[in-house]
Amino acid sequence: MSEALLSVESLEAGYGEVQVLWGISLGAQSGKLTTIVGANGVGKTTSLRAIAGSIRPWGGRILFKGEDVTRLAPHQKAARGLALVPEGRQLFSAMSVEENLEMGAYSRHGARRYASRLERVYELFPRLKERRTQLAGTFSGGEQQMLAIARGLMSDPDLLVIDELSLGLAPLVVHLIFSTLKTLKDEGLSILLVEQNVHLAFALSDYAYVIAEGRLFTEGAPDVLAAKPEIRRAYLGL
Amino acid sequence: MLGLLASILDGVLIGAVYGLAAMGITLIWGVMDVVNLTHGAMIVAGMFAAYVLVGAAGVPVYATLPIVLAGGFLVGVGLYWLSVHRVIGQPPLMSLLSTFAVNLVLVGLGTAVWGTDLFNVPASLPGFSLGRYTFPGTHLMAALLTGVIALALYFFLYRTRLGKAVRAVSNNREAAELVGIPTARVLALAFGLGVALASVAGMLIATMFPFTVLSGDAYQLKSFVVTVLGGLGNPTGALVAGIALGLVEGLTTPFVPVSWTLVIEFILFVVVLITVPGGLLTLFRRRRPA
Repeated sequence: MSEALLSVESLEAGYGEVQVLWGISLGAQSGKLTTIVGANGVGKTTSLRAIAGSIRPWGGRILFKGEDVTRLAPHQKAARGLALVPEGRQLFSAMSVEENLEMGAYSRHGARRYASRLERVYELFPRLKERRTQLAGTFSGGEQQMLAIARGLMSDPDLLVIDELSLGLAPLVVHLIFSTLKTLKDEGLSILLVEQNVHLAFALSDYAYVIAEGRLFTEGAPDVLAAKPEIRRAYLGL
Repeated sequence: MLGLLASILDGVLIGAVYGLAAMGITLIWGVMDVVNLTHGAMIVAGMFAAYVLVGAAGVPVYATLPIVLAGGFLVGVGLYWLSVHRVIGQPPLMSLLSTFAVNLVLVGLGTAVWGTDLFNVPASLPGFSLGRYTFPGTHLMAALLTGVIALALYFFLYRTRLGKAVRAVSNNREAAELVGIPTARVLALAFGLGVALASVAGMLIATMFPFTVLSGDAYQLKSFVVTVLGGLGNPTGALVAGIALGLVEGLTTPFVPVSWTLVIEFILFVVVLITVPGGLLTLFRRRRPA
């Protein structure tokens, strides 16, 4: 097993009085695409929010590049190279496309080589370049998701974490974005993905975790998981 | 007729300064959803800072502006960490109470030091004559400096990285954190800017009118009216609305007793709240296709 870029140990978290995560352990390897799948409300998004620091973990440990980042604020984790593309995109709707991208590079990590990052991102998503001065809030769902990913890439992250990539998007757009992810992965970018479309996610990922009721249900290589009868029934509809 | 025109023009000059003060309120509201009730006290602090700097330290009147601006900013940043940071994201009553408490303390301290007597900052500049009427040079200067500060603020918010970060935090605080913006520090910065604007407005008002420690309330109320007229959280709107309010004042003062000015302003305030709650500027903005 190669060295873990991200390693989450016995993570517990929740909201108010309600505990959502009951000791989840997972990891992401350098240069790999890792997927977390599971039904609605089992704690996928909560896991990512705790990893990014948007909510405080109740217990457990999060190691990123060997450093304990469990209690750091999101902007401190961003500066260390961890970029979360949150559920629902969360763009700066009142700002232009280019301003969104500029903010994406805000952390010191990405401020270097800003111009070349911008060029690369426009290359990946030509549609954004055409609309660079348009306000992000006027975009369609697919364009917003592209901009959200592009904004995440602007920081030149070591790990790109994407929550609910395909939620609410047309199939055509989903395929387009997935093929872009494949390009990024082939270039060596490490990606951690939460995805409801298990077929697509398994097709692309190197390793997958299945979460159920705030606990890790099972993990493994996608083809191994896809062969298990309980996974086929519950998540692949076969 | 000329008298009325002169009155209106003078109202516009003074209104620009109301706009400057209101920009302070609207900036803080827009960025952190906090109604800053220390606003009036900070306007008064600007007035007395100018009074002390000119009277005791012999600083030329308009040279106090950068000092008041910088001092207001530092005080604002300090106030943020002292009384606002812990109530960010809490129900609105929390920040209202916390800033109101600071306001009471400051006004109490001011009263203990200066009492409630009238003060003024001696400022004289050559005026500008229009027929029989002369516009005080201080009014022209105040409006001019307001314009410069408003432009500088615009430049900061739209052309600098840090200014864009302020807008990003204002737009979506969680996303701003995620892209690496230290949002708490940006909030402190925005609060400092808001207070700096209030205290500079106070300093400029002090060059035009006499004041007391208790003057803050009236100007704070005017700032609220201007803020709502201009649309909450919209600095440009605040400046335009301030000028509009000054215009209304200039238009009415020749005809009604001065004590009615606030009544008329508040009637206007209520009418705007009922008819265009988004602010006057929304009337001119073309609706975007959905």
